[in-house]
Amino acid sequence: MSQDLRNAPTTKPAIAEALRDIAAPAAGATAATPVAPAPSDMVTIKVDGREVQVKKGTNVLEACLQNGVDVSYFCYHPGLSSPAVCRQCLVEVVGQPKLVPSCYTPVADKMEVVTNSARVVQARQQMLEFTLVNHPVDCPICDKAGECTLQKLYDDWDHKGSRTEFDKVHKPKMADIGPHIVLDAERCILCSRCIRVCDEVAGVHQLGMAWRGDREQLTVAPGQRLDNPYSLNTVDVCPVGALTSKDFRFTLRAWELYTVPSVCPGCATGCNVEIHHGQGEVWRLVPRENLSVNKYWMCDDGRFTYKEIRSRRHSGARIGSGRGLPAQAVSVDKATSFAAERLSGTVQKGGTIGLVFNAQAENEALFGLSQVAAKLEAAGATVRRYVVGRKSHPERADKILRHADMNPNTRGAQVFAGAGAGDADALRSDLGKGALKALWMVGEDLPFDDAVLVELAPSLDALETFVVQAVHDSPLVRRAHVQLPACTWAEVDGSFTNAKSMVQRIRCSVSPAGDARSHMELVSMIAKKTRWVEGEAWQKSPRQAFLQLTAAVQPQDGSAGPFASADWGRELPPVQLRFANSRG
Amino acid sequence: MVFGMPTPDEIVSGAARELRSRPQFPPGFGEDADDDAPLPTEPMTINMGPSHPAMHGTVRIILTVDGETVKEADVQVGYLHRCFEKEAEYATYTQVFPYTDRLNYVSPLLNNVGFAMAAEKLLGISDKIPERAQYIRVLIGEISRITDHLTCVGASGMEVGAFTPFLWMIKCREWLWELLEELTGARLTHSYVRIGGVAADLTDNFAQRLRDVLAKCREAMVDVEKLIVKNRIFRDRMDGVAVISAEEAVAYGWTGPCLRSTGVPYDVRKDHPYLVYDRFDFDVPVGSTGDNYDRFAVRMEEMRQSMRILEQALDQIPAGPFKLDDPRISLPPKSQVYNTIEGMIGHFKQIVDGVKIPPGEAYSYTEGGNGELGFYLVSDGTGRPYRCHVRAPCFILMQSVPKLIIGAGVADIIPTFGMINMIGGECDR
Repeated sequence: MSQDLRNAPTTKPAIAEALRDIAAPAAGATAATPVAPAPSDMVTIKVDGREVQVKKGTNVLEACLQNGVDVSYFCYHPGLSSPAVCRQCLVEVVGQPKLVPSCYTPVADKMEVVTNSARVVQARQQMLEFTLVNHPVDCPICDKAGECTLQKLYDDWDHKGSRTEFDKVHKPKMADIGPHIVLDAERCILCSRCIRVCDEVAGVHQLGMAWRGDREQLTVAPGQRLDNPYSLNTVDVCPVGALTSKDFRFTLRAWELYTVPSVCPGCATGCNVEIHHGQGEVWRLVPRENLSVNKYWMCDDGRFTYKEIRSRRHSGARIGSGRGLPAQAVSVDKATSFAAERLSGTVQKGGTIGLVFNAQAENEALFGLSQVAAKLEAAGATVRRYVVGRKSHPERADKILRHADMNPNTRGAQVFAGAGAGDADALRSDLGKGALKALWMVGEDLPFDDAVLVELAPSLDALETFVVQAVHDSPLVRRAHVQLPACTWAEVDGSFTNAKSMVQRIRCSVSPAGDARSHMELVSMIAKKTRWVEGEAWQKSPRQAFLQLTAAVQPQDGSAGPFASADWGRELPPVQLRFANSRG
Repeated sequence: MVFGMPTPDEIVSGAARELRSRPQFPPGFGEDADDDAPLPTEPMTINMGPSHPAMHGTVRIILTVDGETVKEADVQVGYLHRCFEKEAEYATYTQVFPYTDRLNYVSPLLNNVGFAMAAEKLLGISDKIPERAQYIRVLIGEISRITDHLTCVGASGMEVGAFTPFLWMIKCREWLWELLEELTGARLTHSYVRIGGVAADLTDNFAQRLRDVLAKCREAMVDVEKLIVKNRIFRDRMDGVAVISAEEAVAYGWTGPCLRSTGVPYDVRKDHPYLVYDRFDFDVPVGSTGDNYDRFAVRMEEMRQSMRILEQALDQIPAGPFKLDDPRISLPPKSQVYNTIEGMIGHFKQIVDGVKIPPGEAYSYTEGGNGELGFYLVSDGTGRPYRCHVRAPCFILMQSVPKLIIGAGVADIIPTFGMINMIGGECDR
C-alpha cells in the first residue's frame, strides 16, 4: 500500500496546472518560440530504470522533476542556487558509493539514477526524522499549516514516530526582524532559501545563520533589519512557517482560501500573481511563476495593492451639480442616462469633449472608449484624448522588478488613445485654458499633488459636463456632475499591457463593492444611451472586447504587433488551496 | 409457543429452508357473503404523496383507480434527493461517514460498515482489519438489522390498523438505540465506523446489556406475534397480496428479505461471507409465496437469526485493538497529537487532506437492512473519492412497486409499500 501511495501523483503540480491559464504563459511579445536544443546538448540518463533525455547542465533533481519522478527537497528552488544543505534530495547514482544530493549533481551521459530504492527512502525518512527532532508542535497556530512542505513531505514519505526522549532545543519565537516579517527560529529547518533570496534576488545580504549544530539559527545581523523591498519573497520560499507575513498572519487558514491567477496592478512591470481570496475578500497576493516577467518573485509594495480593493471605495452612483456640492445617490442606470444626456447635449452644441484614458483601467474599457472617440470624430465632433495615470516614482525603480511607472496599463492606454493623445500636463493646460466643454474620465487617478488639484478646481467647475468613472472616492470625484462607481482590477475579467508590451490576463476574484460596474460596462452603457456606439461585439462581454481589440490593433502588414501574443486563456473553475498543497 | 412460528429446535436446524406452513383457518371463518358485489365506476386519477403520513419517506404515486382497484400506478421517487454521491466527491473519505448515516436511517451502522469496506478494499487492507474490529462491526451491524426490521414489521401492523405492535416494537428499537447511543454517542447518526476499524472500543458492560435487551426483545416479539399472526384482519390484508414470483423478483434485481420471501435463499452474509460471518451458525429464512405475509414473516425470523449471530459474536469476540495501527489510515492517539510533532502532522494531514487512497476502483457488497447494499468507489489517488455510487437496495425494489400494486386495492398499497420498506434517505440518496 505504502509503495502505491508514494507513486501516486502529488497535488503540487496539479494546483499550478489548474492555474495555468494559457498554453504558454511565459511567451511574451518579445519571446520567440523556444528553439529545440541540438541533439549534442542533450544527454541520456536512466531514472528508476527509465531512459530519459535531458539538457546538458541540468542537475539530477531537475531531470527527475521534469520527468515526473517525485524527489523530496527543501533547500532547492528553481529560481535560486543550490547549496545542497538540506540533504533531503539524496538519491543513488549507480557506481557511486554514497548517496548524492540530486540538486547539486549535474547530469552526465549514461548516468543511472535510482530514487526509490530502500536505501534512498530510508535516507529520506531519516532526514525527516532529524528535521523533526527540534521542530515545535505548532501546526495549530502556525500560518503555514496546510501549505507546509515539511508537513507534506512527512505525510508523503515518513509517517514514523519520534525516537528521541530529550526536550526540544528552544530558539527565539516571534522575533520582529523586519517591517513586514516575523521570524520563528524554532520552526526554521535551516534550508537557507531566505538567505539566498535576499542575496540573489534583492541583492542585499540581510539574513544569515548564527551558531552551529542543533543551536544553529537564522538571524539578522545586530542592528540590521530585513527591510529590502523584496523581503516578503522570503515568506513565499520558506518551506515551513519560520518566516511569516505580519500582514497575513492569523487572518485565514490556507485551506480556506481560493486562488485566482491575475496580474499585479502596482506598477508597469505586471508581475504575475495569484489572488488568494476567501469569504468574499482578498487576503493576500503571492507571485506566480512567469519566467519572462517576474520569474518567481514580486516586490512588497505590489503585495499590498490588494488593500485598495476595500478601502475608500466609491461604491454607489451619484449625480448632481458638481463643484463639490452634495450629490444625489441614484442607480447606475439612471446615472449613466444622465451622463449620456449631458454628454450628447454638449457634443451637439459643438463643444469640445475630452476623453481621459486612465492607465489603471483595463484594455477592454480603454478600447471601448477609443471606439467612442472614433465614432465622435467621424461624426465631426471635436475630441481630445489624454493618457493619464498615477504619479511616477522614479526613485523606486530598480533593475529587478520595480518600475517607476505606477500604472499597470500605460502601454495599453497609449495604444488605444492613439498617437495624437495628450498627457496629464496637456490635460492640465487645456483645462486651465478652458478649452474643454465636457470631460469624461475613465478612472479618477491624476498624477497631480493636492496643490495642483486645488488650482485646477475652478477649471473643473467651469466644465459644462464632467463625468467620472471612479474606483475610489476623492475630492476630485465629488467635483463631477456624474460620479459612477467602477470596479477594481480584482473584480473584473480583462487584460493589462505591461511596460514590455506583453498583454496579460486579469481575472475576477471577488464580487464588486456595492453597485460598482467594470469600466468597460460603464463606457458601454453611456455609449449605448448616447446612441454613439450600439450593438458592437466589445459591448457584449470582456472576452468579446478582447477578441475585437486584439484584431483591431494588429498591423496591416502582417508583422507582429503589440498584442501579437495576446491570449484570453480558458475559463478557470475556483481552485481551493487545499488537499496536499504546499507552497515554498 | 406461538402457532405458526418455528420452535427453538427448528431454528437451529440446517441452513436455508422454507418457513413452516401457515396456520389455516377453517373454511368460511370470518367471511362475509356479499363482499365481492361488482360496482362499475369511471377510472379516476389521484395523487398519493409526496407528503402523506402513510407514505414512508417522501414518495409520490400517481394512481388511476377504478373504484377501489388500482389500474395504473406511476411511482415517482427522488423527493429526498440530497446529492449524496456528489457531496461525497467534495468530502474526505472520513467525512463521508456522516453522509452514509443518512442513507438507510433505520440501520445507519450497516451503511457505515459498507462504505468503510469499499475504502478498505481500495486500500488493500481488507484482510488486515483487527479481529476485534470485525466482530464489533458484526455486532453493531446485526443490532442495526434488528432495528431496521423492528421498524418495518412494527409499521406493517400499524398500516393495517394494529397500533399496539408498532409501539411495542419501537420500544424494543429504542432499547437497542440506547445501547448504540452509549457506544457511539449518537442515537441515530452514529458515524461510528472508520476506515481500518471503528472509532472506539465497546463499552465495559456492553455484552451484558446487549444480552438483557435481546431477552426483552424476544419477549416483545412473541407478544406481537400473539397479537397479529392469527389476527383475521391482519391475515386478510397480508396473505396473497402483492405476490411476486421468484423468477420475477430475481429479474427485477431484488435482494434481501423481499427476495427471500419468494423462496430464493440469497444472503450476502452466507453466499459471499465478509467480516467474520463465516464463523457464525445462522439460517437464511425463506418464504414460499412472495406475498406481503412472507415478507413480514421472513423479517420476523431474520431478527431471531440476528440475535443468534449477536450471541455467538459476544461469545467469540477476542480482545485486541479496535482499529488498524497504521499512521496513514488511523488517526494517531491524542497523546501523540498534542505532544509530538510527528503525531501532530499525521493528524493534521489526515484531517485536512484525508486518508489518501491509491488510484483504482472497488465495489463492496454487504447485506444491508433491505438487501445487498453496494458502495462503488473510484479513487484518483487523493483523499477524496473521485466517484462514489451507492447500490441502494430499496431503490431497486421500488421499480417493481407498480407491478405489485396494479390490480390490488387502494388500501393494499400502504402495507405493500410498507413491506418493501422504502427508506427515502437510501432510495433517493
